[in-house]
Parts: sequence; structure tokens; C-alpha cells
Amino acid sequence: MTSYSKEIIRDLASGQLPWPQTRRIMSAYKDDDRFFKMVAVYQDRVAWNDPILLPVSDHLFICQSGDERITRCECGHSFGDYRKNWKLKAAIHVRNTEETLREIYPNSDLPDPEWMEIREFICPQCGTLHEVEAAAPGYPIVHDFEPDLEGFYRDWLGKPLQP
Amino acid sequence: MLDKPASAMRLRERLLDSERLMDETGCYDGITELSLRNQDPLKFETLHTKLRAYCVSAREMARRISASPGVREVGEMVVAIYTPEGDAIALSNGIMVHVHTMSRFIKWMIKNGYEDNPRIREGDIFANNDAFIGTVQVPDVMDVVPIFYEGTLVGWAGAVCHELEAGGITPGGDVCLAQERFTEGLFVCAEKIGENDEIRRDYVIRCERNLRMPIYWVLDEKAKVASCIDMRESVKQLISEIGLDCWMQVSKEFIEEGRRAQLARTRQLTVPGIYRGHTFYGHVTAGKPGFQPLGDPDWLYNIPIEMEIGTDGKITMDFEGTQPWGYHSMNCTPAGMDGGMFVTLTQHMNFEGLVNDGAWMATELKLPHGTWTNPDNEMVATATSWALLLPAYGVFQRLLSRSFVARGYVEEAFVGQVNSPMIEMGGESQYGTPFGMAHFECAAAGSGALAIKDGLDTAYVGWNPESDMGNIEVWEQSMPMVYIGRSIVPNSGGAGKYRGGCSFVSTWLINKTSHLRLHTSEHSSRVFDNGGMCGGYPAPTCQKHRAVRNSNIHELAAKGEPLAHAPGTDPHVSDYERNIAGDHVVVEGPYITAPHKEGDIFSHSYNGGGGYGDVLERDPVKTAWDVENGFLTREAADQVFGIVLKDDAEGYPLADIDATVKRRAAMRKERLAKAIPVADWIAAERGRIEKADFAPEVRKMYASAIKLSSRFTRDFSDFWNVDARSIFTPGAKP
Ligand SMILES: [Zn+2]
Repeated sequence: MTSYSKEIIRDLASGQLPWPQTRRIMSAYKDDDRFFKMVAVYQDRVAWNDPILLPVSDHLFICQSGDERITRCECGHSFGDYRKNWKLKAAIHVRNTEETLREIYPNSDLPDPEWMEIREFICPQCGTLHEVEAAAPGYPIVHDFEPDLEGFYRDWLGKPLQP
Repeated sequence: MLDKPASAMRLRERLLDSERLMDETGCYDGITELSLRNQDPLKFETLHTKLRAYCVSAREMARRISASPGVREVGEMVVAIYTPEGDAIALSNGIMVHVHTMSRFIKWMIKNGYEDNPRIREGDIFANNDAFIGTVQVPDVMDVVPIFYEGTLVGWAGAVCHELEAGGITPGGDVCLAQERFTEGLFVCAEKIGENDEIRRDYVIRCERNLRMPIYWVLDEKAKVASCIDMRESVKQLISEIGLDCWMQVSKEFIEEGRRAQLARTRQLTVPGIYRGHTFYGHVTAGKPGFQPLGDPDWLYNIPIEMEIGTDGKITMDFEGTQPWGYHSMNCTPAGMDGGMFVTLTQHMNFEGLVNDGAWMATELKLPHGTWTNPDNEMVATATSWALLLPAYGVFQRLLSRSFVARGYVEEAFVGQVNSPMIEMGGESQYGTPFGMAHFECAAAGSGALAIKDGLDTAYVGWNPESDMGNIEVWEQSMPMVYIGRSIVPNSGGAGKYRGGCSFVSTWLINKTSHLRLHTSEHSSRVFDNGGMCGGYPAPTCQKHRAVRNSNIHELAAKGEPLAHAPGTDPHVSDYERNIAGDHVVVEGPYITAPHKEGDIFSHSYNGGGGYGDVLERDPVKTAWDVENGFLTREAADQVFGIVLKDDAEGYPLADIDATVKRRAAMRKERLAKAIPVADWIAAERGRIEKADFAPEVRKMYASAIKLSSRFTRDFSDFWNVDARSIFTPGAKP
């Protein structure tokens, strides 16, 4: 069975693994012990102690925080119950004018702000840009991911979560 | 009557029985045990590898028969081997989107009584390019031949080429001006086009008299038939070695194994749950010549997707909430939507093991009836359905990628495909003859970023994993235009920690013709039709077309003065305008104008992919390299990425790390200062929603989605705490 050291997984996750080695990993059979190794890599990366249950974005994790399961930023900021859309607790910056769109697209033809706006969802504590939506004005904010956390741990990982 | 079917049962009954067995057992054709695989796994694998080799070599051989640069250069072809019921067992590389659409075509013939009339006999050749029967669009012409072994139907061999000219209202393959079926070009509707391994002369005559450039289509037919016969003979040889019973059993086990492998791979690579995303497509034709006033000239469509991964490993994709079909060329049939799903799966999950229709069986598409994903009217045009497919399956790739990131397989996460707008052309060639073709350098767009590295520059396209832009010299042989530039478009990849792959722009001088019609297809307007992921920005995909009529380029060249080879990086004034005199044209959206003539200049740029991750985390050293090599402007490096560049001794950009760290800290602060809590934003926006204070096209989009989907209506109403129906469809019955 394929398996890699935690150091290799850490370098892979941070984009630091040399390309030939990354490429071999991409071409090889998958390492079935990846999930918990990757969680351990992320756990080392964060300064807080709540056990990570699932990464959901580049710097967002669902973690066990006391009796609760919450979405937490790498910086520690909590976005509340993981079943709720974390974006609703984020800070937002909307680009819906030619001037603000031009800041991101200085040399390109722009969308029409009457047809499309760029919404930036930002961690209110550390300022990390967690997600960008390109949407028509008035379009409801998307709830990107509602994981079946219990089903995943029980049926796929064979390690049911404590209720 | 069919000559001795495999079982005593007629083919139609056999197909229905196979579907019944799948429903009852959950396994393909009721194959609950992989008995041959269990007996001898090595032999099982070897046999499948042989079948795959038959397909790959048949396609390579056929590409050398074709006259079309689309097939020869870019590889716009795929071949596959099917069961008697029309399920794909093995396939070649190439435009794999069609493996499953051909399956639909074979099943359609079986279900429509082709056994009785026109009959299915050894040596017959059937062709189809009707998307409601089974293809994506008119230029995707497919040929299948039955495989008989000692008088018994034991399978089918099939091949598809994308034709560069389809004989529609506008020249080229993707007929952008088609607004109904009747203007899309030459239809071949599940037709027997040959017998005894020979294409009928009257069919060829029909092609010759209804196409602008019949040599492509007709030689492609010959190439496809040759590849089918080659695969057929290989399969017959194989059966003579392993026996008919073994063939009939093993071919089904391959498919069931493919189905199980897909489910297992989903359980291995993803996380169960519900994933959501969306993208948009805008179309702007007001005032452009040729469009009939059948629908709104300008419109905006939403493409929402909800993907569910069950704990059984099944992937379901639901398009509820999208728009109704319209009088334009961008509708898609369920066959096309299936094909898009299939080709995406082959790239992201089925990169090893037995790739066949089994993978498709482990998935489900929910395509709401009456929408542009599943029109309830078979007269609608689907000539450029990639305009829907590429953005939609780009969303699918982002949804899948979210699941790969969650599972820890970051190296598989990929921000996805983008639309790759095409150029279609026709008129008088440089040889003084009538001509028509599609330019296929579009098959090398920029890809979305990965979660661990930048996207591929000019090397990816969603419909064909074997991306290729073709050689300039070959394109120049085929069209009355010569290249005066082909270069990377700076900043064309979406910004992010990892940027999207960049695209390229071509600039041509129209040459040796007095009548060249140029049209573009699959070109989204006024909105980005892609997205970024995990903080990455979408790629800028609203490029306008720039052309110069009656240019002075020959005078400039005679004087040895500088020309312009690309539009440049000033969005307000192009380098063409700066350097070349003439009548300058800037067109938003699809390019449809009066014919060009020699001395005119035309440029067209392709799309890059979306970015991944927070732009302020991008590696400054890589960014300096990007600036040096023209992938990024200094302006973008500074203002978007927050990277301070200075010049080294030789004038090359060098990242100033300390200054960059400071600048980025300031930018983060600035970000927070400008942002407001989402709750406040929602409260402030609500007034605008209640007044429906939007552009007419946006209002229309909401009204249409609300009319078609109670879920969209509920979600919209719940989110904004309004009654969406009374705002957008007042007076309509609930
Ligand atoms: Zn944070």
C-alpha cells in the first residue's frame, strides 16, 4: 500500500514539494492513510488545540471545540456551528463598480457591474481572503459545502465521531 | 430482421432487459459477481488493455486519413468499443466527451426499431449528429458499425470527429448564429450511410452539396469508418482466441468493474455531503447583424449546481434553478450534459483502471425539464452548447476539488475549466475557392489553478484532456489569414496564491481574399463565466474583440515601421490603435459583422483559468518570474498581489521581500478596513432586492428561475427574507 511520511505530506500541502516528486504522487496509487496524516499536518500549523475534524478550505477547518463543532480560521477566529454557512459570519467587500473591479483586473476588459459583482469573504480577525464569489447582483450567498461529517467518519473512515 | 442476435431475444428486448436487471440488482446488466475477474485477474486486465490498445491505435491510424487540421493536428476525435446494447467497454484518448453520447445514439437506434427497418447487418455504417439522439452539437458527427461474429451481433465500434464545417447559417462548425435547429447545418439523424463497409455515394453527394468545405467532413467519414473496421476486426480476432462466451461475459464485467471502481474512488478521494456552486453566462447581440428577433437580444443566465456525494459513493449533480431554453445556439441536450460529466470524470477520478461507461453509471444528473440543460422542445438549437457545458463542468470541477481538499488529496484539486471561445470562418479562401472552417487553436486555453501550484498556461481545455493548439503554419495553409502575433495574455489567469493558467491572444492579417466572414462562438459577455477557489479570483473572461479595417499595415511594413502584434495591456487604448491606422473596431461579445478583406487585422484572445487561495500569499519570487516572462504585469504584481519588485543589475524584475511583507501587512489592514460584516451587507442589500433594482437582464434571470424552480424561489426568499415571487413575477400564478 502506498504511504508517505508526514513531512512529505506537509511539503505537498504547502506547495513546497519538488515538482518531479509531486508528479510521482499524482501518478501513483493513492495513499489511503492520507486523511489523518493531512489533518495532523494542519493541526501542527494552527496555534489552537481544538482537534481538527475536516479541512474545508485553504485556511478553514471544522474542529471539535468542547461540545460544539465549529468552523475555525487558521488564526483561531470562530465562524460558529459548522452546519451553518461560515460566510454569514465573515466580513465582506463587494466590488460592484468599474473602479473597484479595476483594482483586481488592471489590464483586462471588465465585467459589467450591473450584471456581475465580485464578493470577497474575509476573516474579520486576520484579514485572510477565504473565498471569492462572482455573482449577479442580488444572488444569494452560496453555502459552498455541507459535509456529512458523521457519515464520513462512520462509514468511510470507520471511526465514528463521539456524539 | 436482425441476423441472429446474441441471445434468442431481439436486441430491443435485450436492451430493456439489461436496464431492468440494472434497476433490480443495482449492478450493470445484473452482473452481481465479477466471476472472470475473480478467476483470473491478470487475464482480465490484459484483455481490457488489449481493447484499449485497439482503440488508441485505430484513432491514430484514422487521424492520418483525415484532411482536417482539427483532427490531424488537434486530435478532435475519439473511438470506442461497445456492447451489443450500446454500453462503452473501452475507449481511446481524445474527445472523450463523446464516448457516452455515442452510447445514447446506439441505444436510440435499438429502441426505435432499427432491427426491422433500416435493419442492422454486417457491414452497415450508421451516422448521427443530432444532439437529441446522441451527440453534443451538429459538428460532432459520429459513425458506428455493428460487430458480428459468425453471424451474431457481439458489439459495436464507434468513432466521432468534430467537423470544422457543418453547413449552417454561419460558416464553421459551431454555428453561433443558429437560433433554431433549422439553421444549424447538415443533420444526419441516425442514418444508415453505408453498407458492406462502403459509404454510400448518394450520402457523399449530399455532404458535398451542403457543406462549405466538404473535404473535411467526407475524409473524416472515411477516417472514422476505417477506424471502426480496424477495431471490429481486432475484436473478432480476439473473440476467435478467447471464445464468444468469454467475450460476452467479460465485456459486461469490464463495465460493472468500471462502475464499482468509480464508487470506490469516490469513497477514497472525496467526502460525502452537499456541495454548491454557480457560474453565469452572458450574451450580448443587440444591434448585431443577422440575429432574428425571436428572443431577448441580450441575456444573462445563471448556472447553479448542487452536487451530492452519498455515503455509497454515488455522485448526483442537480441543475435546478437554471434558465429556460432560448432561441440561441447555447442550449444543450441531456446527451451533451452526460458527455460533459463523462469527460470530466475521466480527467479527475478515472485516470487509472478500466475507464468506460461504468463510471457514468455511478453518477446521476438531474436536468430540469424545459431548461437549457434539457429542452422540452426538440426544435431548439444546440450548435454551441459548449457555452453552457464548459462553465457548468468548471463548477463541477471546483465542487469535486473542494471534496479532494477536504479529504487531504490537495494535489488533485483543480479550479477547473473555462470557456474557450472559438473562431468560425468562411467565404473565399486564399486560393480563390469557397471555404469554411473552425479555427481550433482554442483547444489550448489556460487551466484553473491547482491547490498546490499554478494552472497550466495555454495547455488545457475541458473537452479534450490531450490539449493542443496546432501549428501556426498548418492553420495558415487552411485560411486566408496570416499570423502577425500569438502571445501570452498577461494577467489572464485568475489571481491567487496559485494563479490560473494564462491564455494567449492571436492577431492576424487577412490575406489574399476579398470576402472573409469571421464569427466567434462560446464567448461569454459582461460576466466572468468561471470562478476562483478558496480565495482565488476568477479569470478575466470578458475580452472584447479588436479589429482594424482598411489598415495601413502594408505601408508600415514597407517603411519598416513597428506594427502591433497583440492588443497590449492598456484596456482603454490597444496597441493596434496606437500603431496602426485604419477603421478601428471594438466588439463586446460574439463577433458577427460584415465580411473582412485583405489588409484588415483581427485579434481574438482565449481564456485563462481561475485562481486558488489568498493572493497575498503568492510567492514573490515566482511573481517576479511571471512579470519577467509576460504572464503578469508589474501593475498587477504590485496592486493585486502586493509584491514590491525592483530591478536587478540587468534590469530584470527582482522581488523585494522585506518591502513586500510590509506592503502586504498594510493591504490586509486595508482589506479589513473596507470590509463590513456580512449581516450588515445583507441588511443593506435587502432594500435593493425588494425594489428589484437590477438591470433588466438580471431581473429577467430571476423571474425565469423563479417560474421554473420552487427550490430557487424558496432559497432566494429565505436568504433575503422576501417574497421572491411577488417581487419578480407579480401577477403570476404561484
Ligand atoms: Zn482568520
